[in-house]
Amino acid sequence: MSTEILHGHAEVVSEAHGEHHEGHHHEESFISKYVFSMDHKMIARQFLITGIIWAIIGGLFSVLFRLQLGYPDMSLPFLEDIFGRWAQGGRITPEFYYALVTMHGTILVFFVLTAGLSGTFANLLIPLQVGARDMASPFLNMLSYWFFFLASVIMFASLFIQTGPAAGGWTIYPPLSALGQASDGSKLGMDFWLISMAMFIVSSLLGGLNYITTILNMRTRGMSMTRLPLTIWAIFFTAVLGVLSFPVLLSGAILLLFDRNLGTSFYLSDIVVKGEILPNEGGSAILFQHLFWFLGHPEVYIILLPAMGMVSEVLSVNSRKPIFGYLAMVGSLFAIAILAFLVWAHHMFVTGLNPFLGAFFVLLTLLIAIPSAIKVFNWLTTLWRGNIRFTPAMLFAIGFVSLFISGGLTGIFLGNSTLDIHLHDTYFVVAHFHIVMGVASFFGMFAGVYHWFPKLYSRYLNNTMAYIHFWITLAGAYLIFWPMHYEGLAGMPRRYVDYSSWESFKMFADLNRFISTVAMIVFAAQLMFVFNFFYSIFKGRRLRTENPWGSNTLEWTTPIHPGHGNWPGEIPEVHRWPYDYGKDGREFIPQTEPIGKDESAHH
Amino acid sequence: MSTAQAQVQTKWWGGGKSPFNLEYGKVMMWYFLMSDAFTFGAFLISYGTIRFSQNYWPDPNKVFNAFPLMGHANLPLAFVSLMTFILIVSSVTMVLAVHAGHNMDKKGVVKWMAWTIVGGIAFLACQAWEWTHLITGEHAVLIDGKIQEIGTTVSRNPWGSEILGLEHGEHHVTKTGPVAFGGYFFGITGFHGFHVFSGVIINIIMLLMATNDVFERKGHYLMIEKAGLYWHFVDLVWVFVFLCFYLI
Amino acid sequence: MEHQENIFPEVTFQPAHVDNAVFTKKVIRTTVILSVITLIELALGFVIYFMHKNAEYNHALVLFIKGVITILSLAKAFYIVSIFMHLGDEIRNMIMTIVVPLLLFTWFIAAFLIDGNSWRSLRNTEGHSKTYVEPVQEVQPEAKKPGSVE
Repeated sequence: MSTEILHGHAEVVSEAHGEHHEGHHHEESFISKYVFSMDHKMIARQFLITGIIWAIIGGLFSVLFRLQLGYPDMSLPFLEDIFGRWAQGGRITPEFYYALVTMHGTILVFFVLTAGLSGTFANLLIPLQVGARDMASPFLNMLSYWFFFLASVIMFASLFIQTGPAAGGWTIYPPLSALGQASDGSKLGMDFWLISMAMFIVSSLLGGLNYITTILNMRTRGMSMTRLPLTIWAIFFTAVLGVLSFPVLLSGAILLLFDRNLGTSFYLSDIVVKGEILPNEGGSAILFQHLFWFLGHPEVYIILLPAMGMVSEVLSVNSRKPIFGYLAMVGSLFAIAILAFLVWAHHMFVTGLNPFLGAFFVLLTLLIAIPSAIKVFNWLTTLWRGNIRFTPAMLFAIGFVSLFISGGLTGIFLGNSTLDIHLHDTYFVVAHFHIVMGVASFFGMFAGVYHWFPKLYSRYLNNTMAYIHFWITLAGAYLIFWPMHYEGLAGMPRRYVDYSSWESFKMFADLNRFISTVAMIVFAAQLMFVFNFFYSIFKGRRLRTENPWGSNTLEWTTPIHPGHGNWPGEIPEVHRWPYDYGKDGREFIPQTEPIGKDESAHH
Repeated sequence: MSTAQAQVQTKWWGGGKSPFNLEYGKVMMWYFLMSDAFTFGAFLISYGTIRFSQNYWPDPNKVFNAFPLMGHANLPLAFVSLMTFILIVSSVTMVLAVHAGHNMDKKGVVKWMAWTIVGGIAFLACQAWEWTHLITGEHAVLIDGKIQEIGTTVSRNPWGSEILGLEHGEHHVTKTGPVAFGGYFFGITGFHGFHVFSGVIINIIMLLMATNDVFERKGHYLMIEKAGLYWHFVDLVWVFVFLCFYLI
Repeated sequence: MEHQENIFPEVTFQPAHVDNAVFTKKVIRTTVILSVITLIELALGFVIYFMHKNAEYNHALVLFIKGVITILSLAKAFYIVSIFMHLGDEIRNMIMTIVVPLLLFTWFIAAFLIDGNSWRSLRNTEGHSKTYVEPVQEVQPEAKKPGSVE
């Protein structure tokens, strides 16, 4: 019986993999190699490049609305040439401003920092670092990308609808988002948004299930869970968060679609629009917020955890020191993952949440400070007395730690429901989440791209451009978001198109202009990175060695140009944890090396 | 890391093998069902939340009291019990199909899969009848001072509280009930019905594959097991739909 | 193909093989249990139904019965998952990865329902602008003949 089954299993696998054999004698067609590829490395590249394209679009939107915020009186005729009635007289209309802000948030949170970040690095690193030929199901993995692509196409199409894309903020709170008659941005664009998100959820589910299964089931011999690199642990918890929380958003989105199109009253009650009393009765707008943030809060960790994992790996490799407190790192990732599910309503302290219930959410929220502090402490102690190599990836990793500290501290302010009465919906919030979740995750992503680019494209990125990119981005991030804290503490609300006619906030005109100027410079630096990226794919310095960073993990035991199946011979066996740096006088000891006879005690 | 205590020799987590002794597809199916549980969970919890926010909620015993071909007899919960029973039986036939698969018994697989499909279709037919009955069964309701006859839809609910002393023909007249009742009922049973429907499609595909000897050639019936997991999950969800809409 | 090498004899991808007779007995037993629980649930449903006929029914008792029905449903869920879906036959690792995440539902349910309850009190007090008065229990309409269609 059992041999039958074993045999059968091998057959299942080989079917799922199509024609793949170790030798790769056969030629793949262009379509099966570059388009509908089932190779995890190609899918990673697809996710990364799609993410980069989205990042340019989303970043451009932020430049456009920063132009409006920094120069509210200026008229730029070229805007009217491009956007027509959306920028009448060369000035961005309030409706267009909302659309830009909404799309900026949606694109960067979901399409860039979820799909672009974990899609890329989960696909690239999981099979390579756990020692597997490919994902558990390469076919579903391919579908995951193509559902993401479909979601992208729908979202992109919504930008060109006559009534414009969704414009109710990336959180699409009803009743605004539920009622087409309320604003142009709540018409067809909103339906596109919801359908696109449904496709996106399918994509992230397919991806997440694959990641979890591969990590649990497909580890090579000797790769016990405590020998996994922290990148894999982080991606694992990210996938768990996604698999358990995205479905809740799906439910919320389906109910919202019903409210919009079928006349149900899940979120609607006692509403008058333009003098007309709506028949909807009995629903609750706060219900949507609960459902949304039940995903929405785990979502910020879905964005942040992969960055944390990659930063841990890059910091250890480039300090030539073992990561400090490996198990504490895993434990804190686990604690963050659990708490991520328990704290969602801290986004709703002032929207009508029961204040008594809010108290529990305050308590749970502040608990997150503990695992976060453990992580920061461990990163710093990993750096402490390390033999640090300031590669671009390392700089971005250190930058991540800096941003995570400064952004995380303001989280403690915002987690208090009483302080939130003053701070909610001000620029303080904008500054907080942009630093701790947006820019920090971008830094983690950049660290990952610079570190693993040689594995992705067998070439290096240009270092000079990389250093310029880093310093402009780091300085720019602080110059943009630090002043926003002051504006927020002064009470300046977010989501307004023009503050110049507002007596209390007029005084920030110069500051706003300064922020906008820096934002444009930082955006230009990102374009330089994009240039560096595509230039280096074709013209970058060639990789001459299998293990350019002197790293322990398995991906650097593959050939310079790994084929489909990753290792030409057998999959290597693992004998040690991935952080034996500077041990027994040796700079690094790869995971594949058996424990020596007189080697000092294991971690 | 933890070593399974029962098997002293076996380091399940040591790498090179599945820590669960399960083939990857089955692990994936289990985790997919986990995530689907959260989808249904979110629906049912929203329903509960809205219900908690209302002073009045219709009594299921009065809403669901009809039975096909029984005319106007008052038979609370009878029909839904039949539906529940159909689903339990189809789950049992699915278990038998999976078991036949374990024994490489093709005839058994085909027979029990066929019965499972019949059960699924019967359930869907029952649901279609129940929906039709609710939507078209009209009741006298006082709306804006006028007595109207309305059915239960996603935007109208005739199951409000009774207006004492007001009669329409031989029926009592009621106020309109909470609108969300219909929305959630049709939304959630519809979503469940959609799962049953897709389960039936999957089962039909499995049946065709079994009759065409696909699994015989593979040497195992693992696909049937995965389809079985999905089918049982549909039954599992029904337990909670039954609980939330019909019983409490 | 060594996508996953099977050099370990304990990896069978199968729960321990069960005897046909034992299996049949187990399935019949589970089916009977599920049916009986369903019947008890229905009986309790009828108890509620008859209690509701009386306008002055005991609210606490109805709530208690509903709690019992909920627990019975959880028992049903346990039997379906453990016997029909064979989770009970899997090794402990697998069971834990399924059961532990389900604990998230406790706070999920509690927080949502508590907030739902607080909206009710907001509605009844018009946003705390008047003092809370427990609304008069409205009369459930008598079970009526469903309308014309049948």
